[in-house]
Amino acid sequence: MRKLSKLLLAISFVLSITSSAFAVTVASWGGAYTNSQKLGYGDPAAKKLGIPVNWVDYSGGLSEITAQKEAGAITWDIIDVYAMDTINGCDEGLFVEFDFDNDFGPGSDGVKATDDFFAPMPSKCAVGNILYTWNYAYHNDKIGSKKPKTIKDFFNTKKFPGKRGIYKNPVSNLEIALAADGIKPGKGGANIYKALNTEKGVQRALDKISALCNDPNGGCVFWSAGAKPPELLMSGEVVMATGWNGRFFGAQMSGAPLVQVWDGQGLDYQYMVVVKGGPNEADAMKVIKEMMSTEGLAGSAKHIAYAPFRKSSLAVIAAGEPWYNDGKTNMLPQMPSAKANTKNYFLVDAVYWADNGTELGEKFEAMKAALK
Amino acid sequence: MNTETKQILTSDGVPLEKSLKKAEKINKFKALLLVVPLLLFLIITYIAPIGELLTRSVDDKMITSMLPETFKAMEKWDGQELPSEEVFASFLSDYRILVKAKTQGKLGQRLNKEKNGFNSILKKLIRKMKTFEEGNYKEQIISVHKRFGDVSYWRAIKRTAPPYTVAKYLKAVDMYTDENGDIVQVEEGRRVYKKLWVRTLQVALFVTLFTFLMGYPIAHLLATIPMKYSNLLMICVLLPFWTSLLVRTASWMILLQQQGVVNDFFVLIGLVSDDDRPVMMYNLVGTYVAMTQILLPFMVLPLYSVMKTVSPSLMRAGKSLGGTPFVSFWKIYFPLTTSGIGAGSLLVFILAVGYYITPELVGGASGTLISNMIAYHMKQTLDWSFASAMGLMLLCGVMAIYWIYNKLVGIDNIKLG
Repeated sequence: MRKLSKLLLAISFVLSITSSAFAVTVASWGGAYTNSQKLGYGDPAAKKLGIPVNWVDYSGGLSEITAQKEAGAITWDIIDVYAMDTINGCDEGLFVEFDFDNDFGPGSDGVKATDDFFAPMPSKCAVGNILYTWNYAYHNDKIGSKKPKTIKDFFNTKKFPGKRGIYKNPVSNLEIALAADGIKPGKGGANIYKALNTEKGVQRALDKISALCNDPNGGCVFWSAGAKPPELLMSGEVVMATGWNGRFFGAQMSGAPLVQVWDGQGLDYQYMVVVKGGPNEADAMKVIKEMMSTEGLAGSAKHIAYAPFRKSSLAVIAAGEPWYNDGKTNMLPQMPSAKANTKNYFLVDAVYWADNGTELGEKFEAMKAALK
Repeated sequence: MNTETKQILTSDGVPLEKSLKKAEKINKFKALLLVVPLLLFLIITYIAPIGELLTRSVDDKMITSMLPETFKAMEKWDGQELPSEEVFASFLSDYRILVKAKTQGKLGQRLNKEKNGFNSILKKLIRKMKTFEEGNYKEQIISVHKRFGDVSYWRAIKRTAPPYTVAKYLKAVDMYTDENGDIVQVEEGRRVYKKLWVRTLQVALFVTLFTFLMGYPIAHLLATIPMKYSNLLMICVLLPFWTSLLVRTASWMILLQQQGVVNDFFVLIGLVSDDDRPVMMYNLVGTYVAMTQILLPFMVLPLYSVMKTVSPSLMRAGKSLGGTPFVSFWKIYFPLTTSGIGAGSLLVFILAVGYYITPELVGGASGTLISNMIAYHMKQTLDWSFASAMGLMLLCGVMAIYWIYNKLVGIDNIKLG
C-alpha cells in the first residue's frame, strides 16, 4: 500500500513536470482583468490548440522578466504589459519581434491583421490587446444635486468640495491636468503633448495638481491598485476619483451607484509580448495568434468593459449584443471606443513616456513631497 | 624549570606542545566542517548579493565598451560648446556597429537614464542615417533632431565615459557632476531624494520612540502580573504578530479613514462634528499609527525578556532604603532594563527604516520613503544600479547606527531574551 502511494506520488510528480513543460505561461495583472482574459481567449485557445495555458499574476514592470533572464531561468512565455514597457523591453532585447501579418491571422472579415488593428504598435515586439481609459467617476448618491460633467469639474473644488483620488504616478495625470486647465487635446492629444514637451507645460500641469491637493476644500488620495478608486468612492473617502473604466464598470455591474464621466479622458492601449528565449517560444507564438484573433479578443470583452484591439471584434460584439456575460447588458456603449465616450479625449503617448518617464517621475515625486 | 617544561615529550618523542597543536588543528578543521554549510549559505545568500549590489552601483562598463571611438574623440573636448565634427563622425560609426549587432537598444535605454529624451532621437537616427551622405556628419545628425544640437546631450554621453562611476550615489542625494567636474545640486524641481532620506529617518525614529513609550509599560505589566494573566496578555501581544502584515495594514485603513470606524465613533460620542472629521489617514499620522502597532511586538518581546530577569526584591530594597517609587524605578529598575531597550529600539528602527508597503498604503502623498523609491527604480525604470546604490546607502546607514550604539552602550549589553 505504502509502495503504491509512493509510486503514485512519483508518477503524478513526473506528470506535473511534463505537463507544465508543454504549457504556455502568461503573466498578467490579476483580478477581473486576468479573469476576462482567461475566460475570453485563454481557455478557448488552449482547447483549440491542445496547449495548456497557465496564468500567473504580476504587478507590471519589467523587473521580474529581467531578473528571470539574468538568472538564466525564464519561466514566462507571454506577458501583458504597458505600452511603455514594450518599448523598453524591445530595446533591451527581451521580447520577440513580430512580423505582424504573418504572425497574426486576418480578421474574421478577411482584412489583414495590420489593417484590422486599431492603431500602429509602439514597438515591433508588441501586439495590441485592449483599449482602456483613464477617466473619472463619482458616487451618485453622495455628490449632491449638482453632478460633475466635465474634466474641469474634477478640479473645481468650489462647486464640488472634497478629496480626489488620483493615480500615484504622473502617467495620465499630467495630461488630464492640462486638459482641465483649458488646453484642447486636439487630434489624439497632440496639443497636450506639445505643451508637455516644454518645461513650462510640465510645470503648469504639476502646479494644477498640487493646487488641487493643497486646496483646503480639495485634497488628494493617491492610489496604486486598480481596485482602489471604486473602493475610495464607495467608502466616501473621496468625492471623485480617476481610474480605469473597466474597474468602474465592474463596480457598477455589482450594484455600486457610480457614474463615469467621459471628458478629457486618456485612452490607452494594453499590449502582449512574447518573451525571447522563453520556455516554450514556438507554442507561445501559436497561442498568442489564437488569443489575439477576432473571436478571442471579442471573447474577453464579454467579461470586462475594455475594447478589443481589432475592429473586426467590435463588429462581432455589435452583432451579438447584449454581449456582457449577464446576458442583458450591451457592451458597446460601455467601451472607451464608443462614439459618445470619445468626444474629448487624448491618446496616452507611449513614446513620450518611454522617453521622459524617469524625469517626470522625479518631478512628480518632488511635487508630492512638497505638498503641505 | 623552564627548560624542564619544554622538554615534555609524548611517547613517540614529539614535543607535547606540537602534538597538542596538531590534534587541535584536526579538531578545528572538524569544527569548521560543521559550520561550512552555514558559512556557504551566508556567503551565497548574503555576502555575494551585497558585493553584487556594490559592483552594480558603480559599474558603467557597458557603455564604455559600446562607444570606444566616441570616447577617444571626446577626450579633447572641453564640454563647453558642441563637440567637433570628429566626435559626431566617430559616434555615428560606433552607433552603426551597434545597430548592425542589434544592441543599440541597450545604449538608448542607458543614455535615456542619463538624459531623458535620448532614446527616441537615437531611434530616429537609425531611420535617417541610412540616407546620410559622406562627410559633414555634424550637420546631418543635427538635422535628424534638434536635440542632437543641444550640448547637454553630448555632455551626458561624456559623463558615461569612465568604466566606474559614483554618479548614482550623487543622484541619491540630489547632486550630479556638471561639465566642469564640479559636484552641484540638481535643479530645484527635481530635488526629492534628500527629502525622502530625512523623512525615512524621521519616520523610523518616531516609530521607535512611540513603540518604546507604548511597549515599556506593557512589557512591565507582562513581567510583573501573575502567570495566568500574563499568558493571556502575551497572546494579545503576539496575536497581531502572527497576522499577515497586509491584513493589519488594511484593517488600519478601515479604522482610520474619514468615514471609518474611529471617526464614526468620535462623531457618535460628539467629540467632533460630522462635517469636520479629522484626517487620520493618507498622511503621516496614519503611517505612525499603523507602523507603531505593527512593530510593537519587536519592542515588547526583548523588553519583557529582560524585565523578567529583574528581581522584584531590588525594587523593594530601594523603597525600604527610603526611595520614592519614582526614584527607585529611575535609579534601579530602569538602568537594569537598558539592554532590553537597546535591543528593542535597534530592532524596531532597523525594520522601520526598510518599510514600504505600510507607508505606501496608509501614508498617502507623504507615504513615499526611500524604500519605495528603491522598489520604483527596480520595477518601473529598471535602473538597478541606482536602486543598488540607494540600497547600499540604507545598509551603511543602519550599520552606522549599529556602530554608534555599540560605542555608546556596547553591543555586548544587548539582550534579546
